[in-house]
Amino acid sequence: MIKRKLNPSLLPMILLILGLSTIAFPLYMTIVIAFKQPSEMSNTISGILSLPKHWSFSNFSEAMEVTDFWRSLGYSLLITLVTVVLSIVIHSMIGYVLGRNKNHNKFYGFVYLFIVSGMFVPFAILMMPLAKETAELGLANWFGVILLYVVFYMPMNIMLYSGYLVNIPLALEEAARVDGASTWRTYWKVIFPLMKPMHATVAVITALAVWNDVMTPLVIMAGSGVNTLPLAQMNFQSQFGTNYNLAFASYLLSLIPILVFYIICQKQIINGVVNGAVK
Amino acid sequence: MKGRGIGKLLFTGCILILSVFLPGCSSSKNNSVTEIEIVQYKPEASNYFKMVEKAFNETHDNIHLTINSPNDAAAILRTRFIREDYPDIVGIGGDIEYSYYVDAQILADVSNYKGLSDIKQVYRDIDESLELVPTDGTFAVPYMANAAGILYNKNLFEQNGWKIPTNWNELITLCEEIKKTDILPFYFGFKDTWSCLAPWNAIAVGLTETDTVKKVNKGETTFTKEYAETAEKYLNLLQYGPDSPFAYSYNDACTAFARGESAMYPIGSYAVPQILSVNPDMNIDSFVMPASDSSDGNTLNSGIDLQFCITEACENKEAAYEVLDFLFADENIQAYADAQNAIPCKEGDFKLASMLDGMKEYIEAGKMADFHDHYYPTEMSADALLQTFLIEKDVNGFLKTFDKNWQRYNRDIIRKVREYEENNSN
Amino acid sequence: MKNDRKRTYLLITIPILALFITFNTIPLLRGVVYSFTNFRGFGNYEWVGLRNYIDLFSDARVGSSYIFTIKLAVVTTIVVNVISIILALALNSKIRAKGFFRGAYFLPNVLGALVVGYIFNYFFTYLVPALADMAGIESLNSSILASKNTAWIGIMIVCAWQAVAMNTIIYISGLQTVPEDVYEAGSLDGATGWKKFWKLTFPLIIPFFSINMVLCVKNFLMVFDQIMALTKGGPAQSTESISYLIYNNGMKGGQFGFQSANAVMFFIVIVIISVAQMKFSGKKEEQL
Repeated sequence: MIKRKLNPSLLPMILLILGLSTIAFPLYMTIVIAFKQPSEMSNTISGILSLPKHWSFSNFSEAMEVTDFWRSLGYSLLITLVTVVLSIVIHSMIGYVLGRNKNHNKFYGFVYLFIVSGMFVPFAILMMPLAKETAELGLANWFGVILLYVVFYMPMNIMLYSGYLVNIPLALEEAARVDGASTWRTYWKVIFPLMKPMHATVAVITALAVWNDVMTPLVIMAGSGVNTLPLAQMNFQSQFGTNYNLAFASYLLSLIPILVFYIICQKQIINGVVNGAVK
Repeated sequence: MKGRGIGKLLFTGCILILSVFLPGCSSSKNNSVTEIEIVQYKPEASNYFKMVEKAFNETHDNIHLTINSPNDAAAILRTRFIREDYPDIVGIGGDIEYSYYVDAQILADVSNYKGLSDIKQVYRDIDESLELVPTDGTFAVPYMANAAGILYNKNLFEQNGWKIPTNWNELITLCEEIKKTDILPFYFGFKDTWSCLAPWNAIAVGLTETDTVKKVNKGETTFTKEYAETAEKYLNLLQYGPDSPFAYSYNDACTAFARGESAMYPIGSYAVPQILSVNPDMNIDSFVMPASDSSDGNTLNSGIDLQFCITEACENKEAAYEVLDFLFADENIQAYADAQNAIPCKEGDFKLASMLDGMKEYIEAGKMADFHDHYYPTEMSADALLQTFLIEKDVNGFLKTFDKNWQRYNRDIIRKVREYEENNSN
Repeated sequence: MKNDRKRTYLLITIPILALFITFNTIPLLRGVVYSFTNFRGFGNYEWVGLRNYIDLFSDARVGSSYIFTIKLAVVTTIVVNVISIILALALNSKIRAKGFFRGAYFLPNVLGALVVGYIFNYFFTYLVPALADMAGIESLNSSILASKNTAWIGIMIVCAWQAVAMNTIIYISGLQTVPEDVYEAGSLDGATGWKKFWKLTFPLIIPFFSINMVLCVKNFLMVFDQIMALTKGGPAQSTESISYLIYNNGMKGGQFGFQSANAVMFFIVIVIISVAQMKFSGKKEEQL
């Protein structure tokens, strides 16, 4: 064979760097605009692209005040964390029961199909009745939102968990049972720890979806005075007026928590999301 | 091991956060104090209402007042009504939402409220006429009115010697003259669909009867007939605005006008605070939209911008009346009028903002008509229809669609009106 | 022993099933019930039989929201998948800093769609026209969101910017399952470049291709945040997605009953598309 390849990785490399600029450029502009003052905004190429004259945090402190940043962040964290913990506990449990029984018991087979087909139900059809129902039950608040998330992500997570069970041999449970452990105990002591990789996947997928969701809190909590981070951006949008620098500082603030989280746990996040999609 | 670490982290996080939030929920409230909650729909006036809330709570021990001024309050009120979670008092505009709420029997009859007799008759009549079918009782206390026409940059007008137009021809001549300079005659912020309604209303009140909408509902006329001239004239104005008016939002348009990019801005008086926030020294005045071909045929476009209604769900009407008394105290009304350049609905010698100088004559003479869109059902999205019309510039198509959509979206209202007519003609 | 197991299983299943029924099945059924009324969301209402469903088919606004949503979903799916495959091939080749690139390309996917929408909204309105103006590109010197012919492209760009990340990563995991010796066998046959990909690689990653199709179509059919942030359905109602229309007119516009009917129809459409997709991709995989 003739070695005519100059450098086989050159073409993909150029392509990748070009592609990367489409991601870096918007982020760069977001940061630059967030730090500038309205008087620094100009209409020339160099003016648009230039760095701000002073790296002042005044836009950020003002944006924090306007959008009540810490409180919104608190609610976002609260809702996301509680949802993730409840999802792992509840979905793994029901996923286990259904996964172990769906093939030889008609009832569990039906329950499995019934819940999993919930995946096809778009939020649009549930939204209006849910707004009424959560209010009737006194759940038109952050806790109601969490309960709804636990239900919305149930079909997907049950599929993931019961699919993963195939990897866990029945013999392990039998052994524990022979030792006299109850089913409940066996589950928590043997099965639950073994499903750890799936817990990570479920945690990542659920957390990302919940953290970025706008529609559910918008419909359920609107007017209760409680905001999540994205909801706060929407509700305070008009108060920025045409001060785009202030608005961008606020956007950047709302992106920072997830950016930091992503940079720290990048590998786990990518693996988790891909696992969830591919399985 | 990694998974366990994350699990532990999550768990401690939850406990920490829960412990911060839960105590907040269980704060016990003193039983002898009546809680009154107002949700009002003008976020731009939130500073004023914060001030009122504070002043009220400092002077009243038996009532605790909370005033919410959320952004997009219309949606929030709707959602709360869907949830049957009613505030005690709602501050809303005199528009179709109000009509719906009266029809749905959400609002309480306030005809025994003493302050009502101080309210100008014009505005009480507007509220009566907003009811889908005449209903016994009074359901709102009008607070402030607004006026829409054309705002203009007084300095630019003086420098160039431009004159205030009094009829349609003069307006077009003026625009042609302004066009020769590098200043735009008008600015529009049509990316926000609702702002397409402002010039439309202002032109429509000058060219059609006040009760056009009611007549259509009774089947006596059609919009194709009534609105033809309004649509033509509106389209005419478009050429005197920026090249691509659909790229700019209402805020952008206010900013551009404030910076002197245009000499005029056809919008309501409510835009003035936003404009002044960009350019506090700007010298703004206003005049009535000269839609008519004759100089004495114009009508000022004015409606109820804010009114207070007590909901049926309010448990302590007396306390609610006490709150209203406070809101309607002369000094508070004047403070609101100053802050928002609004026109008080209460009788009395209030000082009007200088931006309203050009409209004063009409206000004092009562030569006013309500915004037409206050009678358009929200779900018909007349604002988006108008936006489509301004983009496509097809007068006949627009009017046809308008009539067709009107019949469809108002089906239940029209049926109600006709039933009422039948029952009452016998 | 056996009874203990049965009891535990039931004790776990029943409360969770009850929770699911309460917040999924019951609201679904209630939505169907509301679709036969002229309910505004508050006050009293009447039964109107099938009127809402008949209206659905004559309502131009509903019709155009379906056309818009499907157009957006199809075009975005194609664009996203083409870009993703190219990126995945590049990222899977022998290059340096693979980990860094993978991480960087995935970043847009974790950001919230609403805030990303707000940021791009500003870019489309001010930045792009200003840059185009200076570069002398006539066609781009006004906001693409301002014209009803191009606004959907703006939405597509934002959707794609975020979605490419996910699809690329899935394709990469697909490519990693392709064994080296397939290529070696291929190069002996003289297959190169495009042909090699199409004949050898692509058939092996078809399962991943169908995953991406399902993911894309499902997400884009339910598009909401991007619309809310970029256009609010405008200009001239040209970018109203189905979800947006249901929220806007149903929750805040007083068409609770009518939009419930629309939602029921949307649900049926989603089920049909999903079933068709599963059948189709099932067949494709069988063939191989």
